[in-house]
Amino acid sequence: MRTALLLPLLALAAVVDAAPLRDPAQPPSAVQRAAQAQNRVRPASVGATLDAEAESHLRASFDAADTAHRGTLSRAEAQAGGFGWIANHFDAIDTRHAGRVSFDDVRRYLKARDANTATR
Amino acid sequence: MVTIQSVLRSARSAAPTALLALMAACGGGSSSDNNIGGSGSGGGSQFVDANQYSAAPGASLSTPNEATGVTHGSLALGGSAIAYTATAGHLSALDASQAPEASIFYVAYTADGAAAATRPVTFFFNGGPGSASVWLHLGSFAPKRLATGIPATTRAVPFPYVDNAESLIDTSDLVFVDAVGTGLSEAIAPHNNQGFWGVDKDAAVLRDFIQRWLVVNGRTASPLFVFGESYGTTRVPVLARLLETAGQRVHGVVELSSIVDYNSNCSVSGGTPTVNCAGFLPSYAAVGDWWHVASGSSGDLDADITAVRSYADTTYEPDAAAWLANGRLPPASHVSALVAFTGLGAGTWQQQFDMDFDTFRHHLIANTTLGVYDGRMSALVGTPLDADDDPSNTFVAPGFQSGIRSLLPLLGYTNPTTYVMSSNAIATWDFSHAGRALPDVVPDLSAALALDPQMKILFLGGEHDLITPFHQTELDVARLGAGAPVAMHFHPGGHMTYLDDDARPLMKAELAAFYASALGAQ
Repeated sequence: MRTALLLPLLALAAVVDAAPLRDPAQPPSAVQRAAQAQNRVRPASVGATLDAEAESHLRASFDAADTAHRGTLSRAEAQAGGFGWIANHFDAIDTRHAGRVSFDDVRRYLKARDANTATR
Repeated sequence: MVTIQSVLRSARSAAPTALLALMAACGGGSSSDNNIGGSGSGGGSQFVDANQYSAAPGASLSTPNEATGVTHGSLALGGSAIAYTATAGHLSALDASQAPEASIFYVAYTADGAAAATRPVTFFFNGGPGSASVWLHLGSFAPKRLATGIPATTRAVPFPYVDNAESLIDTSDLVFVDAVGTGLSEAIAPHNNQGFWGVDKDAAVLRDFIQRWLVVNGRTASPLFVFGESYGTTRVPVLARLLETAGQRVHGVVELSSIVDYNSNCSVSGGTPTVNCAGFLPSYAAVGDWWHVASGSSGDLDADITAVRSYADTTYEPDAAAWLANGRLPPASHVSALVAFTGLGAGTWQQQFDMDFDTFRHHLIANTTLGVYDGRMSALVGTPLDADDDPSNTFVAPGFQSGIRSLLPLLGYTNPTTYVMSSNAIATWDFSHAGRALPDVVPDLSAALALDPQMKILFLGGEHDLITPFHQTELDVARLGAGAPVAMHFHPGGHMTYLDDDARPLMKAELAAFYASALGAQ
């Protein structure tokens, strides 16, 4: 019914007997050292730096959806590539009615909407 | 409208697969009355799940099922009875090509007869990573809860399972979800548990689970909320960003006992901190207040916290930074101030000026260990309650283990495997995120808000929690800027703040106001 029945059961017994988890637990020390080295040169972001980090998340999702590496997405490509938000806002983003939007188009749309919200 | 229509379109395309799977799976169930609420309408179904589930890193399920145990209950809240259905079982998270990724165990409490388009649904996640959702499920806002009596450590196991006067079932449907390799959730072959043990992979598979649950249950138009505790507050911001990116709106994010930036929290940075512990100082003062050892305490916890928060920001933070940089102690008057705020002896401050929570809780009171999760709970060194070096966990964990074991059969779900409250996912978890070795999810919240400016965020926590201190949360969240749609409330209590009988009603009221504001913003 399942692959390697005995091994997982033995491992499970070990898990149950282990000391209780502390949550959040301390990451392994090698990871902590790597993080400390990074944090010396890359402190916690605020303001424009935070905005840029937030935007890079969106850029990564855009690039992941752009499997053909064309730099633009159609509504259908955005939906199929997991960026349904672009598909849902496609007409508002695609101000040039090109049928395809670039990441810069997405940025422009977000900026314009942000400014609009701020003046409300 | 565009949003709802396109989501409904994708719902229709996915539904046939889901229905077939459900119909096949439900063949094993038999009808029965199992009234978990004491006065419900009866009529449910039992499911005996023969699968063996494993939390081992390499484990991989080859025979997932989607059958559920279904029971009915009723809860009297605010003068009226709320009839609800509890559904316990697995649902497969599917990837973009509809291939199964993981068999996710959940328990859903849904009010009967509510309108799907307007009734909110909230997905709850505990943390770890490696912790099942048993804490939130059995302790917080479900229709019933375990009564622990904390901070006293006297109640015997099993804890009473009582009607929950603070249940959120009057506000939202509630789905308690076990992450992969916790509880009874497991990766589906050819994937294995380890494949989902990372900040990004974990959030992605849970996004897929949520989307599938919404489709299968006809709830894609329902206002959506996600609720995380502890590592769950790292998980849920990533999840909210991924859901918003996918086109699934998230109306609200609830963060309880938060760690939104692992890089700023000095408790997860190991033995001797290299991170500034200033965010912990107000929690140390609250614990010192509780034990009546802080000579500077006014007796008014709120006033004391206001004073010590300000001192932490203006004086202790730079002092601790200097000590970390060159080992130099500040003037003696600064050490005296810390002694007065917290009750911790001057010698301890002089040895470990950037004060970590382990040193604090082992040295505040002689021969006594204070709880990590709740510094109001204590054990004499060497006593059974001190066995795991955290009396606040040692006292409650057996009650929750026994509680979930008893509850699942009552919910119509029976399985031979031990429900894994905590797995060792932490040992091999991929903490990397957005180019950092340890996750900072403030940018994820910022990205989610950029996509959906109407999304709201609520931070809750306990003032005596010594692992995710409230002031560190205040400092981290301040990065979002003054205009961010964020509310914060902290109360006397620990990490599982809802266990406290005084904190839970306050939190319920704050949650009700938060949901109203998040829904009113639409």
